[in-house]
Amino acid sequence: MEPVHPQQNQNTGCQSGNCSCGKKREDGFEQVMSKPTDRRDALKKLTLGLLTGVGFASTSCSVTAGDTKTEKARLNWEEFFKGNYQLMTVDEKESTVKRLERLYELNNGRKINVSAQGPMKDVLYGYAFNISKCQGYMDCVNACVQENNQDRNSQMQYIRIHEHQNGSMDFELADDNFYHEVPAAGHFYIGTQCFHCENPPCVEVCPVKATWKEKDGIVVVDYDWCIGCRYCMAACPYDGRRFNWATPEVPMEEVNNNQHYLGNRLRKKGVMEKCTFCIQRSRNGKNPACVDACPTGARIFGNLLDPNSEIRWVLANKKVFRLKEDLGTEPKFWYFMD
Amino acid sequence: MIKHQTILLVAWAAVIMIAYYSCSSSHQDEQHEKAHGPLANRLRAYTDSIEYEKSSIEAMQNVKLLLAQIHDTVSALLPERTAVIRSYPCNNCHTQPLAQLSQGTKADKKKSHWDIEIIHGSEEVMNCQTCHNEKNMNELVSLTGSVIVFNESYKQCRQCHTTQYTDWVGGSHGKRLGGWMPPRIMNTCVSCHDPHKPAFASRWPSRLNTSSLTE
Repeated sequence: MEPVHPQQNQNTGCQSGNCSCGKKREDGFEQVMSKPTDRRDALKKLTLGLLTGVGFASTSCSVTAGDTKTEKARLNWEEFFKGNYQLMTVDEKESTVKRLERLYELNNGRKINVSAQGPMKDVLYGYAFNISKCQGYMDCVNACVQENNQDRNSQMQYIRIHEHQNGSMDFELADDNFYHEVPAAGHFYIGTQCFHCENPPCVEVCPVKATWKEKDGIVVVDYDWCIGCRYCMAACPYDGRRFNWATPEVPMEEVNNNQHYLGNRLRKKGVMEKCTFCIQRSRNGKNPACVDACPTGARIFGNLLDPNSEIRWVLANKKVFRLKEDLGTEPKFWYFMD
Repeated sequence: MIKHQTILLVAWAAVIMIAYYSCSSSHQDEQHEKAHGPLANRLRAYTDSIEYEKSSIEAMQNVKLLLAQIHDTVSALLPERTAVIRSYPCNNCHTQPLAQLSQGTKADKKKSHWDIEIIHGSEEVMNCQTCHNEKNMNELVSLTGSVIVFNESYKQCRQCHTTQYTDWVGGSHGKRLGGWMPPRIMNTCVSCHDPHKPAFASRWPSRLNTSSLTE
């Protein structure tokens, strides 16, 4: 049965904002400022602008304030008006990550390294998970939380390890919070996380284009462009996305300083996040933290376009399957057995 | 006249039918690809080897690696084993063959290997001499009596564990070191499995999920 949406108009044309009419792409300031506004909006924006402007001006022009305070105000101002990451030029990306590094240093007195490294040529990442090897030791989850600076308060985790009873693949009946020695007799374990679909439904539904698929197949989120509507979370058939209900808390000494703009940099309240195949690691040739941490070798990661890679060997020689294949999402995450 | 036209029409139809069937059978592969979606097509499109800007060796500067031909067509870098065996070379203590050593009095026998417990096959199948060369303790020995050096101990394991060996060579068993990029640097069998007690013990998970927030 096809669902019927009477409100939907097929011929919305340029008003939909989704089409590319060959117009020059607008960046940052223009994206925000050159929108048609009505009187009410204009008044709202004027008032808001006036208030923030006065606030910023008073801090930046104050005679008593120090240099760092002025710098911080300037950086915050630039941060506020930066554009969507996808539309930034290489130089803009560089200056953006430099700004984030400086802001972190000013706020916390510690240095971090934020990268804006792009995808490699001829690389499409893929992942295979051996369900006969996984024993539910949870080392992958620990490594993931530490690597990706996830909120410790809400026990945010990208990976879920599901304990299934032998003979059942029903995820509704699986135990995700097992509390006993592992592996339990008569059970097997399946790990799920973001599958980095080749045809990702979460990207389709994002109303502000804050999430997209990179050239190397990694589905990423621009945390500063996300408005926190959680459409993507609803659209994902695999429970791959997580939402920050509160400001994420990571103890200062546990913060991973090796960060990526689209990866494990510190998030804020009200934005989505998810597994990025450890973009800060994989784009440097390293394996994702979960792969390195797995003590049983159940996790295999590599370049799908390289005929000599292990992942290609698994796809060619093992009987692999993916979850909910009938949806046509084409996950780049396969399961197999020995 | 009409009869001729009819015959011509039937003949044409036959030709078209034959052409269609012969074509459709030759295009079966393409249809098969279509059924498997765009990702499958993309994977099949690339057959050339890829040039990478980086290499997995960069991350493994501190480990001594040995190049090994693990299969007719597959070679890989393996970490040196003798560097991590605690009391290698074994002839530091084992100056004489095992048979002579066991002839001594009880007082002579130092319990230096007290911690080794063999849980690997049954006694009928294996004993120490199945793997260790009793004439030269610095080496291992195959089932047929040829020498296997410690750095190539995978040759010892593959005599029985052939499926695991095939999977290891292919890449679905064991672990990569130094990341996903070529060249392949791999853990060997004994990096993860204690050869005397190869099974993994059950243990508590390294983290317990005490709360699951339903969002």
